[in-house]
Amino acid sequence: MKRIAFLLVAVAVAAGVLAFTAPASGRAGEQASPIYGVTIPPGYRDWKLIAVSEIAAGDKSQLRAEFGNDIAIKAFQQGTLPFPNGAIIVAQHWIKESSPENDKVLAMVPMVAGLDDPKSFIPGAFINMQVMVKDSKKYAASGGWGFGDFKDGKPGDEALTKTCFPCHQPAKDHDYVYTHYAP
Amino acid sequence: MKGMASLLVAVAMAALLAAYTLPVSGQGGEGASPIYGLTIPAGYRDWKLISVGRVGGSNNDLRAKLGNDIAIKAYREGKLPFPDGTIIARLAWREATSEENNLALGNVDSFVTGAATNLEFMVKDSKKYAATGGWGFAQFTDGKPDSEALHKACFPCHGPAKDQDFVFTRYAP
Repeated sequence: MKRIAFLLVAVAVAAGVLAFTAPASGRAGEQASPIYGVTIPPGYRDWKLIAVSEIAAGDKSQLRAEFGNDIAIKAFQQGTLPFPNGAIIVAQHWIKESSPENDKVLAMVPMVAGLDDPKSFIPGAFINMQVMVKDSKKYAASGGWGFGDFKDGKPGDEALTKTCFPCHQPAKDHDYVYTHYAP
Repeated sequence: MKGMASLLVAVAMAALLAAYTLPVSGQGGEGASPIYGLTIPAGYRDWKLISVGRVGGSNNDLRAKLGNDIAIKAYREGKLPFPDGTIIARLAWREATSEENNLALGNVDSFVTGAATNLEFMVKDSKKYAATGGWGFAQFTDGKPDSEALHKACFPCHGPAKDQDFVFTRYAP
C-alpha cells in the first residue's frame, strides 16, 4: 500500500514536471512528413528569429517568421555555408491582417502622420509551417535537406512534399535556403 | 616576473573570452534615451519572438517584436500589467523585394527584410516610470537615441492600448 502511494506520488510529480516543461506555445504534432520523415521540432516557437517576410497575394497575403535552432543561428551569424548537420529552420506563416487599432495610433505619431497611407498589418490566423532539417547523409539526394510542411500539426501529402526540393533550387548558392539573417 | 607573465596570460584569456562571448548580432549603441535614460539592452536580437508586423505606405517596413524572458512569460500567462523587468524590443527593417523568392513562388510577390531602420524598446519599472504607466521608452536610429521631442510622443501614443498595459502587440499564435 505504501509502495503504491509512493508510486502515485511519483507519477503525479512526473506529470507535474511534464506539464510544467511542456512548451507553452507553438504547434506540436507527432506525424512525420512523407519522403523525408521530418516532424515538428518541439519548442521551435522559442527559437531565435532569423528574419520576417511577407507574401502579397490579395486576401491570401501572409506575414511570415523564420526561426532557427542554435546550430542554424550560429551558421547564419557566422556566414557558414553549407549549413552544418543538425541545422533546423522553421518558417511559420500567418494570414496578413489589417490592424485598424494600430492605424488609428499611427495617424497620431508625428513622424508617421505626414507619411502616405501608413497602413498597419499584424499576424492573423495561423496558416502552416515548414521545416528544413540538415542531414547531409540521410538527405544526400535533396541537397542534404529534409523537408516537411504542416497544417494543424499534420504533414502535407507526398505530392506537396515532392515540390519542396525543386522549389528550393533557385537558392542553391545559399545551400537551398532562401532566408537571409535580418540585421 | 613569473607572476606578471601569468597575469598577462590571464588578461589575454579574459579578453579573448569576452570577444568570443560578445553578441555577434543586433545593434550596439552608445547613449541613453532622453527623458527615460534607456540604453540598448545587450543581446536583444537573440530574444524570443512575440510577433511580426508591417507598416505600409512610405514607411514600408517589416517588423519583429522580441521579448526578454519576463515579457514572454507574462504574454503566455496572459499576465497584466506586465511585471517589473519586462523589456519589449521592436525591430524594423525596410521592406525589400526578393527576386530570388519570386522565382520560386511564381505569381505572388515576396518581400523580405532589408536594411534596419530604427529600434524601439519599452522597459517596465513601475516605480521609476510611475508617471508613464510604469514604462520607459526609447528609440534608436543607427545606434543613437532619437530626440527628446520624439520621446515625448511615446507615452501619449500608447494611451489607446491602456487596457493591455499600454502594449499594442499581441502574442502571435
